[in-house]
Amino acid sequence: MLSALRREDEGGRIPETWRLSTDGRELLFDAFTRFALGLVLLFALFPIWMMVMNSFKSRSQVMTENPTLIPSEFHVSNYFEMWQRFPLLDYFLNSLIIASVTTVVTILIASLAAYAFSRYDFPGKGKLELSILGTQMIPGVLILLPMYLLFINIQMQVGIPMKDTYHGLIFLYSTFTIPFAIWMLRGYFDTIPKALGEAARIDGCTRLGALFRVVMPLAAPGIAATSMFVFLLAFNEVLFASVLGSDTVTPFAIGIQEFQTQTQTYWGQMMAASTVATIPLLFLFVLFQKPIVSGLTSGSVKH
Amino acid sequence: MLERAKSGFTRAVPNWVQVRIPRLGDDTRFAYKLLLPAFLMMGIIHFLPIVWGFYISFVQLDASYVSNWWNAPIVGFENYAKIFNPNTIVGAEFWTSLRQTLVFTVGSVIGIYTLGLGTALLLNRDFRGKLAARTLVLVPWIAPAVVTVLTWQMMFRTDTGMINHILRSVGLIDGSFFWLIGPRSIFAITAVWTWQNFPWAAIMLYAGLQSIPEHLYEAAETDGAGRWGKFRYITMPQLKPVSVVIVLLMVVWTLINFTVPYVLLGASPSDSGKVLMLFIYNYAFSNWSFGLGAAMSTVLFIVAMILAYIYYTRVIGGEFEGGAI
Repeated sequence: MLSALRREDEGGRIPETWRLSTDGRELLFDAFTRFALGLVLLFALFPIWMMVMNSFKSRSQVMTENPTLIPSEFHVSNYFEMWQRFPLLDYFLNSLIIASVTTVVTILIASLAAYAFSRYDFPGKGKLELSILGTQMIPGVLILLPMYLLFINIQMQVGIPMKDTYHGLIFLYSTFTIPFAIWMLRGYFDTIPKALGEAARIDGCTRLGALFRVVMPLAAPGIAATSMFVFLLAFNEVLFASVLGSDTVTPFAIGIQEFQTQTQTYWGQMMAASTVATIPLLFLFVLFQKPIVSGLTSGSVKH
Repeated sequence: MLERAKSGFTRAVPNWVQVRIPRLGDDTRFAYKLLLPAFLMMGIIHFLPIVWGFYISFVQLDASYVSNWWNAPIVGFENYAKIFNPNTIVGAEFWTSLRQTLVFTVGSVIGIYTLGLGTALLLNRDFRGKLAARTLVLVPWIAPAVVTVLTWQMMFRTDTGMINHILRSVGLIDGSFFWLIGPRSIFAITAVWTWQNFPWAAIMLYAGLQSIPEHLYEAAETDGAGRWGKFRYITMPQLKPVSVVIVLLMVVWTLINFTVPYVLLGASPSDSGKVLMLFIYNYAFSNWSFGLGAAMSTVLFIVAMILAYIYYTRVIGGEFEGGAI
């Protein structure tokens, strides 16, 4: 059957009797699609499954040579014990503070710039847009070395602590996320008709008023999607946090690695903490997936 | 840039013209004001550090000069000479690291693109539950990277890991493989990075597939093209622009990725998994050789910039009208 299909596809003539009916072929192809997609989804979701399942395993269930897909017995103790071993709650709160403030700062500043790119033509526009793209090509370590010196020296010469502070990390992260956010927001602003902003101007709105009262509310789903990405980027950051964000501001991304001590790793608790960090994000993603997907792909495909 | 724009405007008006023309329109000035905060911050955190990092790459900056970096002795190209000379300790390691970084990058990008394309083609068909499938495929990309990489680390364990267990059960291996130590660690980071990023490629390619006009396929069908013919002569050429974007961005992002190798293998892994970002990090903050670290970062940056330049000229053709970050 399959060889018949292949031969026909090559353009060879096939006796009518060999042919699978069009419906049959579609059905076969459909079955293949579902099977293959199932494999892809299995690959994509398997680690998430293992994460959640291992969070319910006891130590001996994790440390066996025959690990199981589903714990033979569900233990919830990890979810209680994880808070005690390390200041996990502090790590979560640190991350929450840093990532939330970063998100607010980023969205505010990036909206202004994105609006300028979306609505106005001005000399040097192309070059500025290019420099935004260029920032995505800079290796983190190249920035980290001077930033380390800058932070230390501000502290010594000016007296303002920068290393291991909330404001230090927030300032860094906002700047990392601004180019990305400008790009995404610009795509959303482009979809809102210019006439709406102009109508608001005629009604007596200032230029900024038109942005904040008309365009931004209409782009709310896009702003939510962008916020989620910004939050995620700040939440996930490891490189700068590992050097400039220890002590009292240790974020979750660094703190969770403490479950791995010199002598042993507390896998069950680590996976419980991971699950707690992942589920709300996945929930938010499902909620905002439409604007997220459209924002991801906007501008990448030429129409 | 602003200055140049202004002078460009005045020069366009000959001296003898007596009419007063505003140098910049209200709208233009407003647009620049909107851009100011963003570019001010990017100036401090992106553009200044590049210049500063470039300077550091020419000095011998170690732990004793951290608080008075401007006193560090200038050594010219000595740092660059050291890292490129395979006979020095750092040079030998740098070349190994560069090679491993290339293996990591090429392997990942091939994996991400093929897997992404396959997934996109599957998603492009009509079936029930398509929206759910599209949502679920994106999960590896959305879930926080640190926790998923730690989960992979758990699965890659030698004696108790799921991956070795599965491979043993189906009879592919006997005993246990070391995935995170030794020569296989490059495979581990490639696999995890591929897993994390193929959804992004899939969604981008899926959007590309959706934008191919139906009439092209109809025309091909009347010409007698089969499934393969349509894929080869319609789909692939139409996907070329978005494919180039994906491949180039992915190459650059893989080159400068830190989280996956660092969380999966730790700060100082075996030679096999010691990609440049880790090696530089280690050299700068464990050995406190900022000068050498900066020289290596600059090399990495230049490589990324060359690729970005190719992207800019080839894909966008000098006219900036799209492309994704």
